[in-house]
Amino acid sequence: MSYENKILQMKKMLGKKVQQPVTNEQSTYQKPIIPNYVNQWEKAGLTRIDNEFGIVFKRQVHYPFHYQHGHYPLQSFFDALIKWQSADFDHPYALDVDENVLFFDTETTGLKGVGTQIFLLGFLEVTKHDFVLTQYVLADPAHEAALLFESRLWQKTATIITYNGKSFDWPQLETRWTLNQKVLPKLRTQRQIDLLHSSKRLWKNDMERLKLKSVEEEKLGFSRVGDIPGHLAPIIYLDAVKSGVPDALMKVLVHNEWDLLSLITLYVHSTYLLFEQSSDESANTYTNIGKWYADLKKRPQSVNVLEKVTAQFDAREAGNAQFYLALQLKKNKQYSEAVDAFVASLHFIEPRKKLQALEQLAIIYEHHLKDMKQALVYTLEGIQLITSTEDWRMEQKQKWEISWEKRLHRLGNKQ
Amino acid sequence: MLSKKRTISELLNEWRYDDELKERIIHWHTLEGRDAKHAPFPENLHPALVKALHARGITQLYTHQREAFDLAASHKSFTAVTPTASGKSYCYHLPVLQKILEDRNARAIYLFPTKALAQDQKNDLNELIEQSGEDILSYTYDGDTAPGIRQKVRKAGHIVMTNPDMLHSGILPHHTKWVSLFENLKYIVIDELHTYKGVFGSHVAHVIRRLKRICEFYGSKPVFICTSATIKNPKELAENLTNDTHALIADSGAPVGKKTFLFYNPPIIHKTFGVRRSAVLEVSDLAKRLYIAGIQTIIFAKSRVRVEMIVTYLKELTRNKLQDESVRGYRGGYLPSERRVIERGLRDGTIQTVVSTNALELGVDIGQLQACIMTGYPGNIASAWQQAGRAGRRQDEALIIYVAQSTALDQYVVDHPLFLLGSDPEEVRIYPENMLILMDHLKCAAFELPFTTSDMYGEYDIQELLDYLAEEGVIFKTSEKWHWMSDRFPAHDISLRSASQENVVIIDMTVPARTKVIGEMDRHSAMTLLHEEAIYLHQGIQYQVEKLDWEEKKAFVREVDVDYYTDANLAVEMKVLEEDRSRNYQGGTISFGDVGLVAQATIFKKISLNDKQDNIGSGPIHLPPDEMHTSSSWLSFSNTLQWSEAELTEAMTGAAYAMNAFIPLFIQCDSSDVAVVPQVKATHNNLPTFFVYDKYPGGIGLSEKVYDLWEDLLTKTMNHVVNCPCESGCPSCIGPQNSLVNMKRKVKELLQILY
Repeated sequence: MSYENKILQMKKMLGKKVQQPVTNEQSTYQKPIIPNYVNQWEKAGLTRIDNEFGIVFKRQVHYPFHYQHGHYPLQSFFDALIKWQSADFDHPYALDVDENVLFFDTETTGLKGVGTQIFLLGFLEVTKHDFVLTQYVLADPAHEAALLFESRLWQKTATIITYNGKSFDWPQLETRWTLNQKVLPKLRTQRQIDLLHSSKRLWKNDMERLKLKSVEEEKLGFSRVGDIPGHLAPIIYLDAVKSGVPDALMKVLVHNEWDLLSLITLYVHSTYLLFEQSSDESANTYTNIGKWYADLKKRPQSVNVLEKVTAQFDAREAGNAQFYLALQLKKNKQYSEAVDAFVASLHFIEPRKKLQALEQLAIIYEHHLKDMKQALVYTLEGIQLITSTEDWRMEQKQKWEISWEKRLHRLGNKQ
Repeated sequence: MLSKKRTISELLNEWRYDDELKERIIHWHTLEGRDAKHAPFPENLHPALVKALHARGITQLYTHQREAFDLAASHKSFTAVTPTASGKSYCYHLPVLQKILEDRNARAIYLFPTKALAQDQKNDLNELIEQSGEDILSYTYDGDTAPGIRQKVRKAGHIVMTNPDMLHSGILPHHTKWVSLFENLKYIVIDELHTYKGVFGSHVAHVIRRLKRICEFYGSKPVFICTSATIKNPKELAENLTNDTHALIADSGAPVGKKTFLFYNPPIIHKTFGVRRSAVLEVSDLAKRLYIAGIQTIIFAKSRVRVEMIVTYLKELTRNKLQDESVRGYRGGYLPSERRVIERGLRDGTIQTVVSTNALELGVDIGQLQACIMTGYPGNIASAWQQAGRAGRRQDEALIIYVAQSTALDQYVVDHPLFLLGSDPEEVRIYPENMLILMDHLKCAAFELPFTTSDMYGEYDIQELLDYLAEEGVIFKTSEKWHWMSDRFPAHDISLRSASQENVVIIDMTVPARTKVIGEMDRHSAMTLLHEEAIYLHQGIQYQVEKLDWEEKKAFVREVDVDYYTDANLAVEMKVLEEDRSRNYQGGTISFGDVGLVAQATIFKKISLNDKQDNIGSGPIHLPPDEMHTSSSWLSFSNTLQWSEAELTEAMTGAAYAMNAFIPLFIQCDSSDVAVVPQVKATHNNLPTFFVYDKYPGGIGLSEKVYDLWEDLLTKTMNHVVNCPCESGCPSCIGPQNSLVNMKRKVKELLQILY
């Protein structure tokens, strides 16, 4: 029978229209009934925690400081902190030594909307003696308030470090919190560091996919064996609460554990890169770093990194670095150095950037070096580039042509 | 004909002495204007609103506006029935703004049936707010809202103007992002209530039940304010749609201008067959006269095809002028940007004549038009008045011309002008109980907030249905609640608009390198309008369907220039699945219940665009049959006539044709919502049977209504067929006839034994 026919057979099941009963004021919170699989889940290695909202399962793992995850021991996190402490500039990813840091990752039953539940809250934090992983597992959907309450995110202040948490995990958490706002204390607003954003800055044009798994394999020296693909998590959780058998669910916990460990080493690796500690990255990555500093208005850091790229890599690989370096030098009013860098970049950058470089050259020669002849040379080259590049949109080309013709005209008058 | 601008009264004076027109205009009818009934501003009306109204030259309200204000102030939901141009928007603007001025946390949702209407109202509202000098934030929130300001709308918008589709898939499933709206929601405004009918209305009824559920969760209890065009049952519809008790404001205090109605019947060009000249041609001729007289005119035609045909004829007028856009078509299937241009053109007067489907019945602001031509009866009285209201907004004199087509209903209306001018409008029905629709929204509701094991959903007890959803694995039951437990996002799988969920996309491949999408169409219509070799019209341009990819739901069309259009036949087979009710009737039985039907497009005809509309060719259609489970009312009778099966088939087909035409007299529905199918030997009882069925899976409450109406329906049908002046059957009664036997006599005999 088709789905449609099946549904229509169910007409009889629809209750008769009745007057809606008067709903009495919401009574005080009633603890939900405890699921019958508590023993099974405890046997699998989870600990039952009771709080005033129900129960939640907990799993905790301690890692000694020297625990190795991929290329890095976890304690290199402290090196990273020291680097930030000794840095003489601010950065959105910098951490204070005494800052309370919480690496955070969730597993959910879907991708968006109010019907998506969080069934696992994973935290990794530093103590005096070791690193501690704490995972809270939703006992069943009725025990959601207990899960959220246990996270203590309403109580403590911490910097939350995530991978894509700014647009996914945290808003999801806020949604779940809102649904329980009648009983829970308010969720605190926390400082957030999203390592997906920094990874995008570092490896733009370098890595095709920025899945955490790819970053682990390509940059962090960690590869997963026997991992559960994330998209199976919803089905696995549903199955675990239906059947009471937690075996597959425990694998999801391991998946989450790896995510969190990698967050630490990714933070370390990114910090090292920003301080040029690691040297096996490509010219492109270092150029991205230089550009990032430039966008943050940290000119000395930017120039420093970019100059190293131009010194260490061949002209082709260093093309973009020359271009960004030139922009910084121009801002420093080092015009002849800027000209050299722009010229060095010209043959190795994509057309749109090249047009920008030619424009900058024309400007510098016209306004700063007062060499109209050179300005004219680059202006003509720019116009030539506009007409010869075919994959630009027509309207865009016309707009550019108009402004470049203006420049040409002006230069003609000045000569 | 002199090419000179004239006023309407000058033009009408000319027409009185025009021999040709004199004969064809069967009735002249003038409705005199009516003076306004005023009421003073409410004493507590906020000074900022007084200021804004004064700035608009308003110093008192119409009585209905005052009544609305007072009801809203006492927290009573209400529905105001308001004719076009009666200042209906003040019925909601004033109480809503008053509330916000009193309490800056207060919020309101305005719901419009389309994005375009929301845009339009936003401009008007913003102007009013500006005139008040107060800082009140109103925003539209729909698919076009830029991501950058969405956050702001959610957090700070006092008034959020949206449409049911956006509410359904963009707001309700994300309600935690709208906490400040839902916690403080004081008013829900539903404009154009009468448009929420049939399948769409039934869907929206559920969207509103979901909305109310969410409000309850956040502790708000909004008051509903609905405005509607004239229909028979506005209060019932509003209560059914919102599941709330409504007061009714039925008496408008707005003034009405003088309206002249002309009832025009095209001349008979073939006496024996009762064939009249095509209404489309007559309308085009009348429109030309108005165009030349410089009168801004709107022409309504019932189908997309007719709109395009009339546009094609009228464009002849402007053919020699370059870049002339003074004649335009306007209908669904055009892209939104195209429609915005047309709306603007109407307001600023660059467009003088617009030809529209009922898309323009709604409150899209196109300013004042002087004349309106209806190509045929729009199917119900409410629509007719909406269309007529397009002419002469405010107090100007207006001209409304009704041009009858040859269909039974049209001929009935032209012969009985009082039917249109004097009788009650029809009922508007919705049917939220449709199981398919209900289950769809039950899923969405479960996604949005868990049901407890004692919860109702709206007025329904749904616990057993939740059990079923749990078996399906989308929700999970804990001790006291049903939790959504699936990675699906149910609202994305449900469209509120189309009967069949999949639409066919129409792709123009006239220039192979530049193929582009020019429109879309629902699956059911596509079977008869987009089959291969069909002629599809878009903005007056003819396209031929080159290839219909039914699997992928794509129709590839190419521009052509031909002098015919196409018309397809649909064969339908019925099977009774379950009989819910039954009663005896004149030796036969009338029943209501569930049926399964199989529809298949069979052949198409090519019909010439000339006066006689000759059939100039035909071909087969190869499409898989479409199956549907729906509700139906049927009439079975024993065959006491000694006729051959073939004779009976033809007589029943003729009778069904005539019946089909009269159903919209009783229930407000589109002709495409319900159908009559004769079966000489119904499979369940081997008796000749007429089936009236809802053309939507699960039924939509129309044929259920017909179950009680058969006597009346048969009486009207009989009288009409008997009184039709044709000899042996014509498009106005039993449909065009080819055979030489006098089928009309047979149909009369048949109806005699039924009636």
